[in-house]
This record gives sequence, structure tokens and C-alpha cells, in this order.
Amino acid sequence: MTSWLNASFSGLSRAAAGRQAVAVIVSVARRHGDRRRPYALFALLAAGALAVSARGEDTFFAQRVAPIFEQKCVACHGEKKQKGKLRLDSFAQLMRGGEGGGVVKAGAPKASELFIRVTMDPEDEDFMPADSKPPLTPDEVKVLELWIAAGASETTSLAAIKGAPALAARKAPVAALAPDWHPRAAQIAQFEKSTGLRLVPRSAVPTDGLVLRTASAPTRCDDAALAQLAPLADLVVEAELARTKITDVGLVSLATFSNLCALDLTRTAVTSGGLGTLVPLQKLESINLTSTEVDDTGVARLKQLPALRKTWVFGTRVSTVAEDPAAAK
Amino acid sequence: MNPSSPDHHLCSDHCGENPTVWDLPHVPLGLKREWLDLETRRHFLGQGVKALGWAGLATLLGRSAPKLLANAPILGAPTMLPHYAPKAKRAIYLFMAGSPSQIETWDDKPALADLFDKDLPESVRGGQTLTGMTASQTRFPIAPSVYKFARQGKAGRFVSELFPYTAKVSDELCVIKSLYTDAINHEPAILQLTTGNMFPGKPSIGSWLSYGLGAMNAELPTFVVMTSKMPHRTNVQALSNRLWSSGFLSPEHAAVALRSGSDPVLYLNNPKGVSSDVRRAMIDGVNDLNRQLFERVGDPEINARISQYEMAFRMQTSVPELTDFSKEPQSTWDLYGPKAKEPGTFAYNCLMARRLAERGVRFTQIFLRSWDQHSRLPTNIKLMAEDSDQPTYALITDLKRRGLLDDTVVIWGGEFGRTVYSQGTLTADNYGRDHHPRCFSMWMAGGGVKPGISFGETDEFSYNIVKNPMHIRDLHATILHLFGLDHNKLSFKFQGLDQKLTGVLPSKVINDLLA
Repeated sequence: MTSWLNASFSGLSRAAAGRQAVAVIVSVARRHGDRRRPYALFALLAAGALAVSARGEDTFFAQRVAPIFEQKCVACHGEKKQKGKLRLDSFAQLMRGGEGGGVVKAGAPKASELFIRVTMDPEDEDFMPADSKPPLTPDEVKVLELWIAAGASETTSLAAIKGAPALAARKAPVAALAPDWHPRAAQIAQFEKSTGLRLVPRSAVPTDGLVLRTASAPTRCDDAALAQLAPLADLVVEAELARTKITDVGLVSLATFSNLCALDLTRTAVTSGGLGTLVPLQKLESINLTSTEVDDTGVARLKQLPALRKTWVFGTRVSTVAEDPAAAK
Repeated sequence: MNPSSPDHHLCSDHCGENPTVWDLPHVPLGLKREWLDLETRRHFLGQGVKALGWAGLATLLGRSAPKLLANAPILGAPTMLPHYAPKAKRAIYLFMAGSPSQIETWDDKPALADLFDKDLPESVRGGQTLTGMTASQTRFPIAPSVYKFARQGKAGRFVSELFPYTAKVSDELCVIKSLYTDAINHEPAILQLTTGNMFPGKPSIGSWLSYGLGAMNAELPTFVVMTSKMPHRTNVQALSNRLWSSGFLSPEHAAVALRSGSDPVLYLNNPKGVSSDVRRAMIDGVNDLNRQLFERVGDPEINARISQYEMAFRMQTSVPELTDFSKEPQSTWDLYGPKAKEPGTFAYNCLMARRLAERGVRFTQIFLRSWDQHSRLPTNIKLMAEDSDQPTYALITDLKRRGLLDDTVVIWGGEFGRTVYSQGTLTADNYGRDHHPRCFSMWMAGGGVKPGISFGETDEFSYNIVKNPMHIRDLHATILHLFGLDHNKLSFKFQGLDQKLTGVLPSKVINDLLA
């Protein structure tokens, strides 16, 4: 069975092989019932998916120590690179040590090379991780110290070692500002080509939305161009429309930009009357009306926007601005 | 490829780099072509010397290199997307070359008044090597600031009486008092600030931003530099374009230096009798010749040259509009002061920086020289402050009222600090200060920087840092962070290294400075 698995997986990456092995085993187990499970497990181990074996167990090493190595160390001390002939991608490898011998002395963190290296002066050339890669956090250092002090065993249970800092709560995923733009990449390219305007991703995070960017040719951006943008409107988080030919007609299109957070209308022909059409923009946080003909009535209409925090009205007919004294000058 | 065939290129051995998909055996030709199509011009440029091998590859495919170029995205396209959503879209760096003394400007040490003419304790200097200018002094007498500080703004920050205007925007500033650098002389120190390295040949901050993020406005350069007329000239250091060069990055990422005269870009206007059409035809002809050369030798610098010609052509329209201040309202002149009408003054340059920011120029660096006060410091620092204080305040205020300060970071500072002890004779109203790399002050405002705070502390002599030391590299990492870039990931392979603005020594983003 081993050779069959190996043969069928040659050419695939190990990780992929591991996933496939699990799939195969599950299906085998389902078809043949529990009676076949021992064989299935044997196949799993033999397929090289050893990493699974230590996981899921309630040992301190697997739950607390190995993840630190994986995150901070194995890029240089793992399967691909073995700097100083040291590998930290499994307990056995760790205990084998590096070219200078053992790196862990059970019961004595301060005599363990592993611990010494991560706690020495970061300016020292022996400090690890090297080359200003992210150092271990104080919590991670504490975990290592407790584990070595408790005997540096692979099998000590998680509960047996007291006093380890609580695991940092996983960062809550940042709320998506807009849908992923990738599925509509072709439409985006088509829009850019036909209008000469740009739709720039705000960041590498696909749900951070797009910036409508017009700075290269603001006069090419008019109400018709905004209307063309309708199928992509929900992707736009920032609209840089300063010095464009947008009028109140364009604001009607903008009102459908459901995820718009920032809108710059500096030096455009929009009026107070048009601003009322922006009321559906529930997420709009800032609007720049510098050098427009907008007056107090327009700003009053913006009060209905629930998320609006910043309004700039320098060079307009607005009489006073409560939010920002500097803008009133 | 047969080495004797005319298609064979000397550099088709991958220039010592790894083989590409193209070199893999048993990959169907269709897949290889698909891979090639996915490769873009930016990749092409990003590969640096590897592009040489590419020219050969293109020929092999029966596709000429210019055709590859024709299918490429718009010039000035970014190399990458920001690693996270940026806070700053642009930066304006007010470089106070020569280095204003931190003791008279932002690092208030009122207690020094009691130590007038006392000797600086030997232990404070700690065996430091001094410059040749003061090493032979028999005494190192403490010179307190002759300028007083007073609380300003809601934050109650102590601001020097040298800056009555900047005091009014004190609440916008994030003052860093604990910067330090490695260099003790001007040229290496300025280079380290502008390029991250004391040795010439590295790209400047603006070039890195241009390389990483591309242009916001393709009609104007992404990176602009201006030097300013000086109110007086003492110990003026030369500035050279190595401070704003693109180093090993493609030359299109270098700054365009706007001249301080009436003609900001030389030879931009068509000569008499040459119409725009004739100029266009000429550029098309030159570009065609350049493309032919590129097809033969595949040197990416030729592409940069083509893009520079195109940029110059576009600037024939965009620069006159940029430099036409006639439509600025009276409120602008009231704010920046009368000197703003005189091209080349610091005030004029600050106004220009605002106009560049409005038009989407990413990085504007204004140099103001003659802060190098080894002697007659009280008199000369006042001249410099009087020249730059109002325009600095005006720039911050103007950006703020126009809604630009939120995503424009303004940076103010010199290349190092100055000594607490007097260089030369100390009297009640006259002294000088020597170079001091161990601590100096800068400030930043807007663009995602926390307003109204101070960061870091120096000892009672403003000599050594006692809290939150911040190396230039940390400043660079923090600036890149504001632009959404991870300083460890913004890199370019050159001379076998993944080169970075922050180099290989430890550097970190200073989170305390972020809003």
C-alpha cells in the first residue's frame, strides 16, 4: 500500500499528497467500515504526513512550543534550509541538535543554547531569529522557558505545565470594505481602457476595495464615465474626483456606490441641491467640497449621512464649520 | 539556441539567475506562452538584468520585444499593491539641510540655563570621537538656548519662540526627540536620511515609493525635488542628485528636480518654430530608434529612456499649469506670505508642494540649506527660522483646510543634531554648536501620524537618548508603513542581495507614532 501511495503521489507536493492521503483514507474507511481503519492509519503515516501525528494531541509541545518554531524558526531551520545543521520542524529533529551539539538541556533553560540565543542582546550577531527577522515575543520566550524547565518533553500534557501566558486571541478578521474585486478584473480593465480612468486596489487585501483615481486626466471623468461604472460601483471605497467634470447628475450615479467611504469633490461643479442625492451612502465617512459652490443648505443635507465624520468646505459659500475651525479660515 | 545563430544572446544563460518556466522540459508550448503572456512589463523591469535574457526569449517566440512592450500596462504602473491599506498617499519632506540645533528648536532643556559655561561632564561624552572642528577644544562649556520656549496649543507642547507661526499648528505635530544616526558629517548623514545608506548609489525614499506604488498622476513625475533660496549663506553644503537618485532602480524612479528660476524644467518648452506636432513626430522617431536598439540588446535602461521622453512630452502640458500661480486666491498669499510669489524661495516651494500634492505627486522633497551653525548660532538660526516658519505653518494649514493633510504626511528635520557645548567662544548671546549624531529632533504631521504627541527623551544635556531611541531606519520603516508598505518586503534584487530602504540591520515601525 505504501508503494502504491508513493507512486501515485510522485510529482505532487508533500502537502497536497497529505491532503489526498486523508481523502483516500476517509473514503477507504467509509467503504470498508472500522475494520479497515488500522490499515488506513498505517497508510497515513507512511504517506509522509507525519506532521499530523503530533497535532491534535493535548501536549504542551504540540500546542504551545511547536507553533512558535513553525512561525519564527523553521524558515531557516526546517526542511528546506538547515542553518547551523539545525532543524526545528519536529521534536526528534530539535533533540538531535545542530552542528554545535544539543540545543536543549532539559530542566535548565538558561543552559540551553536554544533559549540563550533567543534571549540574548538582539544586537548580538548570535541572536536568533537572525537578520532582523521578527524576534520571539516575551510570551513566546516564557513558553519556551517553562517547557524546558519542566523537562522539555514531547509528551508532557498541556495541563501539566502551569503559568504559561494565555494564547493571544486570534485577531478578529478585519471587516471587508467591499467584495473581492478579482472576479471582476476583466470588467475593471475594460472600464479603465474605455474611460482612461483608473480603478486601483487599495491594498493587497482583495476586500479592501478600489480607489477611483482620476489624477492623470481629471477632465476625462464626467457624469457619463461615472454612469459606466455602475456594474462595479460596489467595489469603489474611495472616489478621487477633484477637478473632474462631475456635476449633480454624476452624484446620482455616486449614490449607488454602496461601499463608498471617502469622496473628494474638490473644484467640481456640484451644488448644494445635488448633495441631497448622496443620502443613501450609509458608509460615507469623509467628503471634500473644497472650492465648490456648495453652501449651508448643502452641508445641512449631509447631516443625514450616518457615518460622515469629516467635511471640508474651504473656499465654498458655507458660512461656519462647527467640526473643523481650520477649514473655516 | 545555437550559439552561432544570430539569435543567440550572450546573456541568455539567465545571467546567473535561476532558470524560468521557459527552461523546464516537458512543459507544453501553449502553457509556456500563457506564462509569458502573464508576465507584465513591471515584472520585466523588476527582473533587472534578467530582462537581457528575455529579449532573446521574445525573439525565440517570434515576437519582437517592442510588441511585448506594446501589450504592457501603462507606464508608471506599480510594482506591487500596498501590503495593507495606506494612511498616506503622499509625503512632503522639508529637509533642513545643515541640521538645525535641536536645543533651540524642539528639545527644550530649560534647566541648562543654570549650567551656563559649566563644563560638560566627561561621563556624558563617554569617550566619543568628536569632529576635527571641536576635538582640540580645551573646554566643552555648556551653552543653554538663548531662545525661550512656551506652551502652545491644546496639547500644551513647549514650542520655541523661533517658531511663532509653527506654534499655531503645534497640535498637528508629532515631535520625535530621540532620533539618532550613524554619521557625523553632512554628506554621509544627508545620504543616510535620503537613501538609508551613507554610501552613494542607493535609491532615495521617493524612488522606493515610486517603484513600489507607481504614479498617481502619469502626467507629472512621481518624485519631485526642490532646493530653496537661502536667507543667508554660511557653511552651505552642496546638494547633488545622488540624494534623489533612483540608485539601482530603473531611472524613471529618480526625482525630477524643479529649478528655482523662472524656468522650472530646462528645455521643456519647444524651441521657436517647433510646433507640438513636430515635437511629437521627433519623439516618435527617437522612440522608434530606441526600440530597435532595445530589440537588439534588451537593456531595460532603454525603456526607461523611452518613458522619460514620454514623460517630458506630457510635462510640456502639465508643468505650465502646475507652475501658473495666477489663479491662487488672495487667501493663499495671506497665508504663505509675500515671499511665496518669488520663485525659488522656501515659501514658493511650500506652495508648490501643496499644488503638487493636489495633483497627486507622491513624494516632494524641499531642501533648505544653511542651518549649519558652528558659530553665530543665535543670529543665524533666527534668520533661517524667520525664512521658513511662516511657510511651514502655511503648508500644514493649507493642506488641512483643503482636506489633504489626512493623507499627506509632512516631515521636517535635518540630518543630525548639534552639541550642547559651544564650539568656539561662549558668551551670553553668542555661541556655536558642532555636529551631534547621538540625538536629534524631527517632526511629522498628517498622513496617519498621531498628532499632538512627543516621542522619545534625551538626557538633561540633550546629549544621549534616555527613552525610546529611534534610528533613521526606524523612521524609514515608519514612513513606508504609512504608505501601506512593509519595509521588509519592499525590496529589489541587486548585487545578490534583496536590497531594502532599511538595509539589513534591525529596523522597526514605531507604532507609538501612528494615529
